[in-house]
Amino acid sequence: MSNVILFNLTTVLFGVASALYLGALYAKNEKIAGAGTWVCVLAAVVSTAALGVRWYESYQMGIGRIPVTNLYESLVFFAWSVNLFYLVVEWKYRNRTFGAFVMPIAFFTMVFAVYNDSSIQPLVPALQSYWLHAHVITCFVGYAAFAVSAGVALMYLLKARQEEAKISEGVVGLLPACKMLDDLVYRAIIWGFPFLTAGIITGAAWANYAWGTYWSWDPKETWSLIVWLVYAAFLHARVTRGWHGKRAAILSLVGFLATIFCYLGVNLVLSGLHSYGGG
Amino acid sequence: MADEKRTLSPMDRVWNFFISVKLAIVTLIVLAATSILGTIIEQNQPPEKYHKIYEDWAFALMDRINLFDMYHSVWFLLMLVLFTVNLSCCTIDRFPKMLKVVRNPRTKLDENLEKTLSLADRWKKKGTLPEWAGKYGEALSASFAKPKVTEVDGQVHLYAETGVASRFGVYVTHLSIIIIFIGAILGNVLGFKGYVNITEGESVTKVPVRGGILMQDLGFTVRCNAFSLETYPSGQPKAYKSDLSVIDGGRETVRKTIVVNDPLQYKGIWFYQSSYGQAGGATARVMAARKDGTHEDMLSLAPNEPVPIDGYGIVRGVNYDQNFQGNGPALQVVVEKPGQPAASFWLFQGRADLDRQRADSMIFSFGGLSSKMFTGLQVAKDPGVNIVWLGCTLMVIGLIMAFFLSHQRVWVRLAQGADGRVEVVLAGSANRNRLAFEKRFEKLQTGVKAAGQ
Ligand code: HEM
Repeated sequence: MSNVILFNLTTVLFGVASALYLGALYAKNEKIAGAGTWVCVLAAVVSTAALGVRWYESYQMGIGRIPVTNLYESLVFFAWSVNLFYLVVEWKYRNRTFGAFVMPIAFFTMVFAVYNDSSIQPLVPALQSYWLHAHVITCFVGYAAFAVSAGVALMYLLKARQEEAKISEGVVGLLPACKMLDDLVYRAIIWGFPFLTAGIITGAAWANYAWGTYWSWDPKETWSLIVWLVYAAFLHARVTRGWHGKRAAILSLVGFLATIFCYLGVNLVLSGLHSYGGG
Repeated sequence: MADEKRTLSPMDRVWNFFISVKLAIVTLIVLAATSILGTIIEQNQPPEKYHKIYEDWAFALMDRINLFDMYHSVWFLLMLVLFTVNLSCCTIDRFPKMLKVVRNPRTKLDENLEKTLSLADRWKKKGTLPEWAGKYGEALSASFAKPKVTEVDGQVHLYAETGVASRFGVYVTHLSIIIIFIGAILGNVLGFKGYVNITEGESVTKVPVRGGILMQDLGFTVRCNAFSLETYPSGQPKAYKSDLSVIDGGRETVRKTIVVNDPLQYKGIWFYQSSYGQAGGATARVMAARKDGTHEDMLSLAPNEPVPIDGYGIVRGVNYDQNFQGNGPALQVVVEKPGQPAASFWLFQGRADLDRQRADSMIFSFGGLSSKMFTGLQVAKDPGVNIVWLGCTLMVIGLIMAFFLSHQRVWVRLAQGADGRVEVVLAGSANRNRLAFEKRFEKLQTGVKAAGQ
């Protein structure tokens, strides 16, 4: 099916972009990173087309549904969001070094997706709801923001270690200043948090419409709440107790680990109501 | 510091404990950490299942501290209460202060304030105070906000602000959490959740709630007219449909076919398609026709239930085979006629011609099995749910206000300088997104300076 071919192409492009960004850091060559940006833009076009084609193909198969309903589709949608979110950050901050830390997340997500069943399956009755669209899209945009935050947090930790040692050479020397990284860790989270909140709310609305309970403490719900609590703690620690820098960066990484577990771990390790990813 | 602490009354100490954000952060983290437990230990399973996994002593201990239903345990609820009290106290402590600051903004740019503002510009102009105050006031109105003018000690102060709502975002968010909790509590106290199976053609007026301990009277009747199952060509289920009627006051008042994700609501009670199944044993449809063609009867044979036929005898269906002797579905019937030994024979589905060969006044033809289905409905009444949605909406609005609005303030101070010129100070600050404000301030700077030239 052509959508899968396009997604495979996207995977390759994400890989190339990651390699270019990393290569640019090592070679200290801004031109290589510039090429990385163009590859990212191309990947954005290809993956958007792939999502569209997949949507269209589902209609041709007589199934007709938005392509965000199983593990494969959620992974590619996540990678798509990370890529777009990253491009916005690169454009706003006029700095290309983030790519080396963020694009590999998109790349490995796609590699993981390729190992999953990519066929278009019809929707079981429980998933036939408009809330599904709102729920999945808000959640994954939130996750993408947290991914960017975690990537930048990692950069911060590397940079801070170097600044402490008062070295300004080497690869890390090219990274943006600590202050800017620290700010970006926070800014990505203030985008992710409202989206995650909206994701949890639309999920609750959907559950209420499907089976009359907006909250049933099923493992997926509970984990999304855990992620939400971690980021809420991050926000309060930062705003009221001045947690900046290293501690904030570590908390962002913890939050992202919880996010990954909420997304994949719950389906792979725990059991619950959420259908995708189980099989 | 130590002295100060000693002078605090116990009440103050309790208050300080409950308004601290440190407590909030600790509670958030502890809630997150303990919530993990309940996702690792499967909740609300039958005891046998736990006994298989855990040693007896471990089971006893875990049961004791409610780990098998931890989200409803007293200790978890207490944590939520602590969290709510913390949040409420914090708000009560801070909200009035914030309101005061917003209501009585510092409209004068005095020296102390000036020192705290990193964005500031100073210049001098020929002319008079009122003249420049007017010009700069217009410039601010045009590109920022209408300023408030204060004159003291021969100085003129202009103060303008935008995005005050930003200050309220946090409170809207915090209030929304409390509203959600109120909605959840109302729903738990005043509502109910139940589950009921209704066989096609039958109706209910009560549903079992709280795990079947109590029967909840609906106040009306719900009938399941029919249930049907649609599948995709591949055989996967596509839709479960229940055709339901509500009978209230002896009349059918509502009729709706519900599917998953499209429930029926009547008088605040919701009916959700939840499951389905086969109701009891299947019945066999058998056509009984007299050989002389005078009469035909459609019989519905439940397993082993005798069905009389006038002027003939009694018929029972006793056995069914999906594929009897390789000839497809078949029904074994026993016929008892008065004064004769019982006769038993097989009827093949759709093969009336075969039965014709049997020497009898009646020809039977087996039309297949038909079985009644039941629909499983989740029944819920939740008078708090709209309050919960109100809270959720406020939460999203509050977050957007808190994160994406910015309270931006700009001051201009005009004073008569010793050299006869007017000394001007322009300064500004924002509580959020300072980078964006810096850019705006730069524009404002050029705009204001260009005013009146
Ligand atoms: C999970 C529940 C909570 C959520 C979602 C939440 C949300 C927020 C948000 C979005 C902010 C703004 C942060 C920022 O400016 O970056 C904030 C600030 C704040 N929160 Fe919470 N909050 C929660 C619980 C609490 C609790 C329990 C307290 C109790 C002490 C509290 C006290 C505060 C304080 C004092 C501020 C700072 C206000 C200011 O900047 O003036 N929060 N909260």
